[in-house]
Amino acid sequence: MAQRKPIRRLLKKPIKLEDKLKNTDKLSGQIQEQEKESVEFSFNELHSQVANAFGNSADLKFIEGKRDERNIIIVFLESMVDATSLKETTSKFLSSISQKLQPLNNVDELSSFCKEVFGGASYKIVNGSDETINAIINGSIVIFVECIDKALAINMMNGEKRSVAEPTSQTVIRGPKDSFIESISTNVSLIRRRIRNKNLHFEQYTIGEDTQTSVYLGFIKGIANEAIVQEVRNRLKKIKVSAIFESGNIEELIADKTFTLFPLALNTERPDSVAANLIEGKMVILIDGTPFALIVPAVFVNFFESPEDYYQSFFLGSFLRMIRYLSFMIALLTPSLYVGVLTYHHELLPTTLLLSVIAQREGIPFPAVVEVLVMELTFEILREAGVRMPRVVGQMVSIVGALVIGQAAAEAGIISNIMIIIVSITAIANFVSPIYSFATASRLLRFLLILFAAILGLYGVLIVLVAMVAHLSSLRSFGVPYLAPIAPFIIEDQKDVFVRFPFWTMKKRPKYLRAESEKKVFTSSPPSPPPMKGGNTS
Amino acid sequence: MKMEKENISLSQLLTLLINFLLGSAIVVGVGGSAKNDAWLAILLGGLIGIVIITLNHFFILRFPDKNMFQVFEFCIGRKITIVFTFMYIVYFLYISCRVIRDFGELMATAILPNTPIEMMSLTFCLLMGYIMYLGIEVLARTSEIFTPYLFGFLLLLAIFLFASGSVEFEQVQPILGEGIMPVIKTAFTELVFFPFGEIIAFSVVYTSLTNKKYSLRVSILGVGLATFLLCGSSLLMIVSLGVDSVSRSNFPLLSTARVVSIGNFIERIDAFVVFIIMLGVFIKGSMFFYAGLKGLEYIFNLPYRYFAFPVSMIISLFSILVSVDFADHIQEGIKLVPYYLHFPFQVVFPFILFLLVMWKQWKGKSKGEEHGSKKTNSQIIKETNKT
Repeated sequence: MAQRKPIRRLLKKPIKLEDKLKNTDKLSGQIQEQEKESVEFSFNELHSQVANAFGNSADLKFIEGKRDERNIIIVFLESMVDATSLKETTSKFLSSISQKLQPLNNVDELSSFCKEVFGGASYKIVNGSDETINAIINGSIVIFVECIDKALAINMMNGEKRSVAEPTSQTVIRGPKDSFIESISTNVSLIRRRIRNKNLHFEQYTIGEDTQTSVYLGFIKGIANEAIVQEVRNRLKKIKVSAIFESGNIEELIADKTFTLFPLALNTERPDSVAANLIEGKMVILIDGTPFALIVPAVFVNFFESPEDYYQSFFLGSFLRMIRYLSFMIALLTPSLYVGVLTYHHELLPTTLLLSVIAQREGIPFPAVVEVLVMELTFEILREAGVRMPRVVGQMVSIVGALVIGQAAAEAGIISNIMIIIVSITAIANFVSPIYSFATASRLLRFLLILFAAILGLYGVLIVLVAMVAHLSSLRSFGVPYLAPIAPFIIEDQKDVFVRFPFWTMKKRPKYLRAESEKKVFTSSPPSPPPMKGGNTS
Repeated sequence: MKMEKENISLSQLLTLLINFLLGSAIVVGVGGSAKNDAWLAILLGGLIGIVIITLNHFFILRFPDKNMFQVFEFCIGRKITIVFTFMYIVYFLYISCRVIRDFGELMATAILPNTPIEMMSLTFCLLMGYIMYLGIEVLARTSEIFTPYLFGFLLLLAIFLFASGSVEFEQVQPILGEGIMPVIKTAFTELVFFPFGEIIAFSVVYTSLTNKKYSLRVSILGVGLATFLLCGSSLLMIVSLGVDSVSRSNFPLLSTARVVSIGNFIERIDAFVVFIIMLGVFIKGSMFFYAGLKGLEYIFNLPYRYFAFPVSMIISLFSILVSVDFADHIQEGIKLVPYYLHFPFQVVFPFILFLLVMWKQWKGKSKGEEHGSKKTNSQIIKETNKT
């Protein structure tokens, strides 16, 4: 039974030092091999060699110059490099009117020169063709000096990026209004500004053989469970693909199980939500080029939490949370209950309601299940059209959708009015989910439920529901049971599940995350007014 | 062979026990032969149930890592144990079939009269097969999630019955009108086997328990709570329907739910009651199914998941084939099953096992003395557990 719960076994197994050593040995071995393979550029043929490597790309530029009797070649990709800083640097290197020309005879002198001139800006000495080309791809300018076999790479990645804007998919009324952007360094700074703690670590991984996307794994050392962190590391290291563009790619590659409708990692574009989750003891995976970060491990109840729950009064927070659970059930069950009750269990409805429903359905030519399926599919088509269509024709779709399909179809006697109510309430309830990807579960399972309701009535609905709960309880997210803390039931964690308790009562981090340090809130008493006049005087 | 370890927490054990005991007992109603003292008979039966679970702990505490079949093996060797195990498998799976049949008949008569019972049985068994394929851990968690709803619905049913004014407490009188004998007779000839004796199926579950220290306490609590609920539902049936209707009805709880009528709005809630019942039946059927699968695992030395789907289909088939119709099914359940199946498998074999364990311990002790070493019983058992 190797296919079940491999994570758990991994978690339990202590990581042996020997294994680690072996791994590093292997790694260094690989590096050595690479070095053997990589060709040294010779200065004289540099131009053609680099140009060959890049296939004479249009944006590959060379600047040749002279300094202190030595030839200097600067190579860079125009498209990746910031123009102004390029100008500055080249002038520093090549200007002949510099007060004092430092000799550049060997690598040491080169690096000491760099320290002086760039004041510790990110530069590095590169060696061999692979490293050089890598540096050029990543937006560095590489400076070759005659007679020095090593080159100097200065990072000048251009800052062409969107500015930090309001989140579009996870909005709040009260709370921070910034969101992640496509640049990973900005995203990291957005998190770091919220958690100013030296224990907040970001580990870099380069994933994607062709895209060389940088991926950061962030966690707070001393809070996040070491075994889970190690598990995430292992899974990231295991990824061998050609391209990574979005967090969704990573999510599918590292999730415990792919054949499930329920997302096993939380995605968010809100830095405050990431920061809060890091403090709880979770980990964040940032991917360059996408504003969506992954938070792992994620459990079922996390998908009903909005950061706003914690910013508003806990009464309202709790109420909203219960509304979310309710709307999940509505989105999942309403159409199938309609089909089941109308087809098999008329007696469940009060007589007057039944009469009015039947009167409405009198001229309808279809059985309830066909009616529901037609309407649900129509709605899904409208919805997809609404997302994909060009903004210019947006008005059209809403007019056609609302008027033609809603009103006219009911008036023509093809579908009943109550059906329109059901489709609308289902649709609206589906949008309540704070994490968009979670709504897919109820969106797709709905059709299965409708089918079973049509075959077996409410009994069929219950069969699917029990199977769904069983499936949910078999899921794990990085070794954490997906339904925790409901099943297995953890009483200490109930303060933040269906309701949110006031802050001062949530003294501990969630137990299911097995955080290294448990305490979260250090004052344990409720806020109280200062003593009255005449009482204790200070 | 690598058997993976599955973990069940104490709260999960508790909910499993409660659902298991309510299971089909609440469908067909128990203690009917004690007339309006059925609830007293159930209370007495519950006491016996507590004794049974305590006796079961004789094995559980001595062999925390061995299920019933392995204890047999420890005493009399693998070859004879396989015969015993095979008998137990047939017993467990047969009872599982009966539980499914109970439920299927209920569905076919009350909820989906035009749907063939085979369809009900098939879907139900597929679901059981799926969950058992996922493992006992998943079953335990599922039961943990649904149990609060079970309690909630039962409470709601009681409130509705009171609210619709159909409760007449005079119906329970006279208490002990025919003396105490019918109560004792019912408790000791019916309730002791069904549902309380069926706890024997749990003898394969306790090995997965994480916290064995409190297992006895939690088990007693579980049996106590289940008795309380059964007794409550029995009382509810009697006070709202009357003894005659209860004894004539095939599914008394369902008939009770039909009585509910509040303000012409909440009425005919029997469909909901069926769904409460379904959860209990589901846990009960699955527990017997699991016990049978564990037996197969013991015999074939293969993880029980491999058998889940095929065996579930066998259960589905035989739940239809075991009896011709519902009357036949109930007759078998009252006349044959308790004496020819329940009695030997719940009382005789465990008693034999008890004697074997005692003999083995005594033998080990005297052997130890012969060799001059001072080994206590527990030490000997510990050593044998290790090997």
